[in-house]
Amino acid sequence: MDPYFLVFAIMALGAGVFTISARDALPSALGLLTVFIALSALYLHLHAPLIAIFQVTIYAGAILVLIVFVIMLLMSPGQTLRHLQKNLSYRIMGGILGASMIALLVIGLKGLSDMSRPRELPQGFGHPSQFGDLFFKDYLMHFEVASILLLVALIGAIYLAKRKA
Amino acid sequence: MAGLTEYIILASVLFGIGAIGFLTRRNALILFMCVEMMLNSVNLMLVAFSHFRADMAGQVMVLFIYAVAAAEVAVGLAILIALFRHVKDVDITKFHLLRW
Repeated sequence: MDPYFLVFAIMALGAGVFTISARDALPSALGLLTVFIALSALYLHLHAPLIAIFQVTIYAGAILVLIVFVIMLLMSPGQTLRHLQKNLSYRIMGGILGASMIALLVIGLKGLSDMSRPRELPQGFGHPSQFGDLFFKDYLMHFEVASILLLVALIGAIYLAKRKA
Repeated sequence: MAGLTEYIILASVLFGIGAIGFLTRRNALILFMCVEMMLNSVNLMLVAFSHFRADMAGQVMVLFIYAVAAAEVAVGLAILIALFRHVKDVDITKFHLLRW
């Protein structure tokens, strides 16, 4: 087993468990940040340097900062949510559903790994120039649609957050 | 070099952890983070398949998931702030505007 993969896989899984088990939202956000960083390291290993950079700038830099900002906005200091943890039936049912989902995914998707024989990677695989070629030629239409989606989401978010109750 | 199977298992378990968190936690902000974790595990799977099948399209797909995730977080957190004005709490069991 590859030690690089092993280190960051364990880091991602451990931080993921911490994210869902932390008492408060802020430590939870810190765990999520660790998950993002570990996955970014794995992307580097998979010849996707551009995705690794986007992972850090967009996820860790923009989305997580937005989440932390809202945590700071909504939760007054010292306010903990310990009383939210007590519901045992939630935990049992959620655990069973999640465990069966993991089993289903692993069993279902493992078959796919046989048909993908590890080919020789073509010259310059994962290079940003190749990525840009594909992105702005084959997927230009999708790119425009995504930009409209972001614009609509921006307008909607401003409208929702500014509206008086 | 870890094979595709290891990446599939890692992404599936990460998705499952996110799903368990989404189903068991009651803090709406943590639910958002669990959704982000599930989206991230799908991204990992796409990049792994892209690498092992030597096809760049998977990496482009990840970028579109980023756009959708950013839109989802922006609108979701705005809804949460609007809800917080009414309920003064982030406990999802306190939100019963649409419940009998």
